[in-house]
This record gives sequence, structure tokens and C-alpha cells, in this order.
Amino acid sequence: MASGRTIRPGPAIEVAGLRKTYPGGVEAVRGIDFTVEPGEVFGLLGPNGAGKSTTIGMLTTTIVPTAGTAKLAGFDVVREPIAARQVSSVVFQEAVVDRGLSGRAHLDLHARLWSVDASAARRHAAGLVDTFGLYDVIDRPVLGYSGGQRRRLELARALVSQPHVLFLDEPTVGLDTRIRYELLDLIGGLRSGNDMTTLLTTHYLDEAERLCDRIAVVHSGAIVALDTPSHLLSSFGDEIIEIRVAGDSQAALSHLRSRSLADADAFAVGATLTIPLHERSGGDVLAVLAAAGLTTTSVATRKPTLDDVYLQLTGDSLAA
Amino acid sequence: MTTIAVSDRVAAPEARAPRTISHGAALMTLAKRRFALSAKTPREIVVPLLTPILFALVIAPALATMVHTTNGLDYKTYVAVGTVGLLVPLSCMFAGIGVIVDRDSGARRELLAAPVPRSLMVGGNFIVALTVSALQLAALIIAALARGAKFHTGASGIAWFIGAAFLFAVASYGIAEVMANRIPKQEEYVGATPAIAILPWFLAGSLFPIHALPGWLAGVAKVLPLTHALAIMRYGLLDRHATGLHDIWGLSSATGEAALSLLVVAAWAVVLSVASVRVFAKAAVR
Repeated sequence: MASGRTIRPGPAIEVAGLRKTYPGGVEAVRGIDFTVEPGEVFGLLGPNGAGKSTTIGMLTTTIVPTAGTAKLAGFDVVREPIAARQVSSVVFQEAVVDRGLSGRAHLDLHARLWSVDASAARRHAAGLVDTFGLYDVIDRPVLGYSGGQRRRLELARALVSQPHVLFLDEPTVGLDTRIRYELLDLIGGLRSGNDMTTLLTTHYLDEAERLCDRIAVVHSGAIVALDTPSHLLSSFGDEIIEIRVAGDSQAALSHLRSRSLADADAFAVGATLTIPLHERSGGDVLAVLAAAGLTTTSVATRKPTLDDVYLQLTGDSLAA
Repeated sequence: MTTIAVSDRVAAPEARAPRTISHGAALMTLAKRRFALSAKTPREIVVPLLTPILFALVIAPALATMVHTTNGLDYKTYVAVGTVGLLVPLSCMFAGIGVIVDRDSGARRELLAAPVPRSLMVGGNFIVALTVSALQLAALIIAALARGAKFHTGASGIAWFIGAAFLFAVASYGIAEVMANRIPKQEEYVGATPAIAILPWFLAGSLFPIHALPGWLAGVAKVLPLTHALAIMRYGLLDRHATGLHDIWGLSSATGEAALSLLVVAAWAVVLSVASVRVFAKAAVR
């Protein structure tokens, strides 16, 4: 039992060598390490199947790690699971609600199970209902909620207990664009003026860039990069040229590298070359390709995105 | 669509001790949730009641006009008690559907993330299944009385009846929870329900004494918890000569036989309860 023990000082989340191998030998998470400080919004960015939800499952004690350790506010998720759950809340990727019960019943249930004092629970719930625009529906069965209302309710429910660590597992997946942006506003608003730590998983680049202080790029169960969004992007410079070629894109990339018009951070996926310009001229790149007899079918310049980071690190697209 | 205004009203977490809810309060909270869900799905309460009430009101009196007595007992009353053996398993199996709904489209994952021992989730569901069974049982007794059943009610008899019914309900809910966590689809669970809730009823002396069964089948019946539970319940409310218990044990002391049978039902209840918690824990955490 965690009763009588205080929140331990130090990182809000500490993960060391965390690994999960499912029966049958599927390695979902292959030994990851990261630390999240109090108040930080930390993103796990990767495509479906990268191991993000398994990581959240281990941190919320619904999946047993095969190896490694994880602590929430100093509480080990394997040795002190109830204390770890007491200091955290989670919003799941899919709907996790009792459709026959009202929104208010969901808030009350969470408050009781997380042992929030009754008057404090009423006060928190009233504020959250107001903030999340649920006033008109809070006493209706969740069955009649729209997707956006249900998501907002789940977020409000997770916040009733004022968790030290909030897990958001793909919080906007499946929502239409307008509702998604509304929800992102709400999530972004959570961080002002408190030290709640948020761990967010997403495969949406804009979501990670907009919300996260730091991002761990996850690929095939491993973290392949971990930094602030601006640092992850800065290595690509200000501008990227994207060229589709009719022939062998790898040969074209090698040719550009041999002429010092592409660095190690340039990459080719399918017929598309992605080349950070680093103060070079896009015209020079195209001229060299033309001189080598390589036909270009389309050309565009743009700012680098986290998708470029991911593609360069893994060869896979986040949108895949 | 309501306009959302982000404000600073989401309060900041304060440094505090991670105070957890007591197990008793958590159990009651989980049971209250299950009650609320059951109240929203009346089928869980009404449907299991239909067949037993039909037996008590229509079939038992009709059969009684042909059979008249069994070991000198009033057959209407004999079948009314026997119907308990149909009502309780059906009620508990219907409660198991709620477990599947929780898992497939309900809030089970939220509860698994709650700072309470997960075995309490099984306990909360059990409390509701037991309460619903008790209410149904009361309705059944009232219906049987209305149709002329004659119960011998004394304090010890009622105690035997309640003890046997309670332990049998524990065992029945245990198997329902095990099946609900082991069977992947609700359709398969519903398909398996007759084998668990109805088949034993035909073997356990519900409509006729087990000595009327072929010898090997009577042997099977003596292993079933329902056979022992029904024999105790009849001993408590109807059959002070304990003929059902004699059919099982063949001893001279009716009280001793009742105690032994209660022990058998209790053993089933303990085994199935432990199994239900273990199977739930295994199914809930990967």
C-alpha cells in the first residue's frame, strides 16, 4: 500500500532497459531508456506497431515487462503497482467507457477509486466539465456522446484525480480534423501553470511538434532518437529539396554524394530523393542530375518535418 | 457543438502523499458501478427469472397433479426448491455477460489502471450477482407460495437453506467469471451457458430424487455441487427426514450429512472463487 508515503523527489518517469517479449517471441519493446522530468510533456513518436502502446501498457501496469525497470514518481511499476497507479491516470487509444452510465458517473467513479476527497472531487469535476465543454451532456448516458465529447470526457476523467503523470495513448486518433484540433488545444492548455507530467504517444507529427517538449522516435520497439523537436529538425537545416526521379533513386543519391551535393542526412525512399540543402542551391542539384542523364518527374522544396527525421533514421514513413 | 474555452481551471497537482482507497470502500465502489450497469440492462435481472418462475407457477403444479408425492413430500414444493438450482446458475451466467461487455466495450481498462487490487473487480461483480440472485430467489419463493407450495420454516432450516444457496451462488459465479474471462466471444459464452447452467440441473435431483437415476449417473450427480446444495436446501425448507442427503451419504445423522454436503459445496465455492480471481488476473494483464 502506498498510504502514508510521499511522492518521491526526482524524475516523474524513469525507464531503464525496459523490454517486452510476448509469448511466441514477438519483441514489442527492445530495451528502452528514458527519463521524464516533472512538468515535462514527453512524446513517443512512431507508426502503429512501433511499441508505443506496449510501453504505456507497462507503465500503467497492464503489461508485465520482460526485463528492465520503470518508475512513476519514484514508484516501481512492478514492485509497487498500486502506488504507481495512484499517481497516474491514462486516456486510452480506444473508447474505455461504460456506455450506459452518465459522464458524471465516470468522473465520480474515478474520483472514488483514486481516493479524491468528496468535496475536492466535486470541485475538480465542476471545473473540468466547464473547461471541457461537457456541461450540456455530463448527466446523459455516454452512449449518446459524439466521438469528441467522449474523448473530452475521458480526458476530464483522467484529470479528476490530478495525476502527477498523465498518459495519453494516441489521444486524437479516429477523430475528425476539427475535433482533433479542439482536443489538441485542450491538451496544450493542460500544461499551463502546473507540474503534471504528460507522456503522449502519437503517430501524428504535428501533434508531437505542437505539444511535446521532447520526443523519443520509436522504431521496431527501440528508441532511435530522443531530443527536442527543434533539435531533431535542426540537423536538416532550413530547406529540403524533394525530387522524384524516373530511374534508380539510390544511384542518383550516390551520384549527388560523389559530387558533394548531398550529405549523410539525405535519403531515398522509393523513387523519391529527400536532400537537405544546407545552404546549397537546389538548381545545382537538378543540374547535376540532368547532366548524369537522370530524369526528374517532380521537384519541390519545403521545410523539414519530423517525418524526414523518422524516414532518415528508419527508412520508414510515420504515415505508413 | 459546444465551444471549448481552454482555461486555467484545470488545477495543478499538489505535492501530496499517494493516499489509496481502502479495500472495503473500493469493493463497494466497484459493486455500486456494477449495480448501476445492471440496472441499465434489465435483461440481466429479468431473463434468468423467467424459466424458474414458469416452473414454480405452471410446470411444478401441473406435474404435481400427476406425481403427487416424492418420498411423501409435496411435489410442488419439491420442484420449487429444485428450481433454485436453475435460477442461481442462470443468474450468475447472465452476470458473466457483463464481464465480457466490460472487457470488449466497457471501462475495464480504466479499472485495471485504478490504484486498487484487481481481485476486487471480481469481488464487486460477485456482490451484485449474489444480490440479484437473492432477489430472484425471493421472487421465486413468493411465486411458489402463491401457487400452494408448503415450506417448513424454522430458524435452523432457513439457515441451512441460506448457507447452501449462498455457497452455491459463490461457486456458480466463480465458474461464470472463469468462463467469461476464458471465452473470447459473447456468442460462444451464451452458447456454453446451457451446458453449465442447465445440464447439471437435470442430474442433480431437481425434479426427481437421484436414486431414480442409473447407478453411474447417480455417482456423477453426487460430485456436482448442485446435488448437495439442493439436498441441503430441501432439508432446510421441506424434507426434515433428509431423504436427498441420505441418497448421497447413506449415514444416520441428517445434520452430519447436511454438514458434509455443505462442506462439499463450500469446497467447490472456494476452488472456483480462487480460479476466477486467477483467471481474471491472467486475462487482464499480459
